[in-house]
Amino acid sequence: MTGVFLNTDQKRGLIGSTLLAILILLIVGAYALWGESYQARILYATFVNLIVVIGLQTFMGNGNYATFSHAAFMGIAAYAAAICVTPAAMKAVSLPDAPWGLNAFEMHPISAAFVALAITGAIGALTGLFMSRLTNVSITIVSIAILVIVHSIFLHRTDIFKGNQALFGIPRVFGLGHVTALVILAIVAARLFRESRLGLRLRAVADDEVGARAMGVNVVRARLVAWIVSTLFFATAGIAYAFYLGTISARPFYFNYVFLTVAMLILGGLRSVTGAVFGTLLISLGLEIIRWLETGPTLVGVKLPEMLGLSGLLLGIVIVGVMAFRPHGLMGNREIEDLVFRRRKTMETSK
Amino acid sequence: MDYAIQQLLNALSFGAEYALIAVGLAIVFSIMGLVNFAHGEVIAFGGYSMAVVGTILTGNPLVLMAGVLIACVAVSLLLERVAFRTVRNADITTGLLTAFGVSIILQNLYLLLGSPRPISATQFIFLDRTLMLGPIHVSSLQIYETVTTIAAILFLTLFLKRSHLGIAMRAASRDFQMVRLCGIRANRVVATAFAISGLLAGLACIFIMARRGSVTPHMGFDPVLTAFIACVLGGFGSLPGAVLGGFILGFLEVGVLVLLPQTAGGLAQAAVFLVVALLLFWRPDGILTPAAEKGDKL
Repeated sequence: MTGVFLNTDQKRGLIGSTLLAILILLIVGAYALWGESYQARILYATFVNLIVVIGLQTFMGNGNYATFSHAAFMGIAAYAAAICVTPAAMKAVSLPDAPWGLNAFEMHPISAAFVALAITGAIGALTGLFMSRLTNVSITIVSIAILVIVHSIFLHRTDIFKGNQALFGIPRVFGLGHVTALVILAIVAARLFRESRLGLRLRAVADDEVGARAMGVNVVRARLVAWIVSTLFFATAGIAYAFYLGTISARPFYFNYVFLTVAMLILGGLRSVTGAVFGTLLISLGLEIIRWLETGPTLVGVKLPEMLGLSGLLLGIVIVGVMAFRPHGLMGNREIEDLVFRRRKTMETSK
Repeated sequence: MDYAIQQLLNALSFGAEYALIAVGLAIVFSIMGLVNFAHGEVIAFGGYSMAVVGTILTGNPLVLMAGVLIACVAVSLLLERVAFRTVRNADITTGLLTAFGVSIILQNLYLLLGSPRPISATQFIFLDRTLMLGPIHVSSLQIYETVTTIAAILFLTLFLKRSHLGIAMRAASRDFQMVRLCGIRANRVVATAFAISGLLAGLACIFIMARRGSVTPHMGFDPVLTAFIACVLGGFGSLPGAVLGGFILGFLEVGVLVLLPQTAGGLAQAAVFLVVALLLFWRPDGILTPAAEKGDKL
């Protein structure tokens, strides 16, 4: 078997993810040299979004399905990590009515993160049993149902999740360095997954499901594994989110966040990891510019609720515009190394 | 006994509302494979136009009802022309994401131009009165809703089976290329599907407004989400499936509300979706999947 040796695509994948990692490091370096302290928060949020969008790419992009449940998995992981890691003394204040002794223990951040990953992965596997058997449209609708179910549980069990109030007192154990390492890890993992046997099968299913089936691809299993892998990316993002902010509430893990991350993936292009990275960076930059314009003196009389509407409006326009004029996003099927080194003609696919 | 009949009527009227919306989604999907996420915003547009016409022009409920229907049909046709025509031949995910984007744009336009808070428009409240049928209290709105839905479905069936355009639409849901080769304009078929979808959204809008008496940017979201679930349950793109799914969802919702303890009221929607997920595990393609989906149109 070719367990040790990588094939050409996988080698290119390693080169591509190295290039993307260098890009990330350059951004962090630029911040370290010239950045102001408030920008650390923006950069951190961008990187958390980046992990989510890369996770979206593994299932949504490779499989060409639209799924909207990622905010729910992120929320599950964030809450699980937060509840595990918060000191018992703090939880006596923040979660006084928690059942099952949830407020009577505390864990090391690393073990808390692994518990959160395990819980999210288990829920991912459970939902994956449904998702992998459904067809194209049903996957989308059921993923929305998952988002709504999880959100209503967050809101309803105020004794565990505090609902729309903040769950506070989480130790802030992560910094920019941690999340940078996680982003680079996520890029490499997603790229290797895309070029792996399973990723290739999933992309084949996306192009021609009947054909892939006929070639002996186990469609249900390919979808199931990809779904679970993507939930682990969301879990990582959720944990990084909780460990940095120190307070979480149910509100961010809902539709607005889904809009934002889906728009990022669409702009860059569903089919490539490079697209996910570029889309996230571009939209994050764009939103910062909008915010700067709105606070700036050039625009007068813009109030807060209108501001929310404006950035949402632009996200919608980005989605519709990209879909109408460039349905495969900025990158299409290309990865970053294809821009640098030309792919040999024999490797060229018709699509 | 009274209680049982009361709940049965509740279930019927919920189911009727979901069926109305679900058929509107299914008819567009069956023709052009578009999952129309912007349907809820069409309903909200009806609500906003009612609020505007109601304050500026006239409070006459009949005029307003006509206005809501016209507004919904018009905006539905406009969306088809502006946004969905470009992605007509694209794959399902592209169309779906376009509709998703359109829905975000419209919601945020309502936020920007309207208000995040509810705007009151109470002209249809009079539809909702309590009637006494023997010993049972029933809401007149529920009866109107059930009867209207049944009538709308009957008319739609008649249209699809008897009229020239209706037959073309049914044919288009099987093989659009063939219909075009037979000399029928694609634009007319698609526009008719969107007009019917908008009309059904307008009917649903009237009943939603009669119940709520106010309009918000997100008012269409919850019913349309449930209608989507109904479509999936019935088999996406199947009109009988949409109706069946709508009524199943209505009965499930009322059943869950009756069975769950009062304190767990917030989880009703979650419980309904969970039951549907289990049903889908049994039948992943929905209950009445159109035969075309199983092989010839992949």
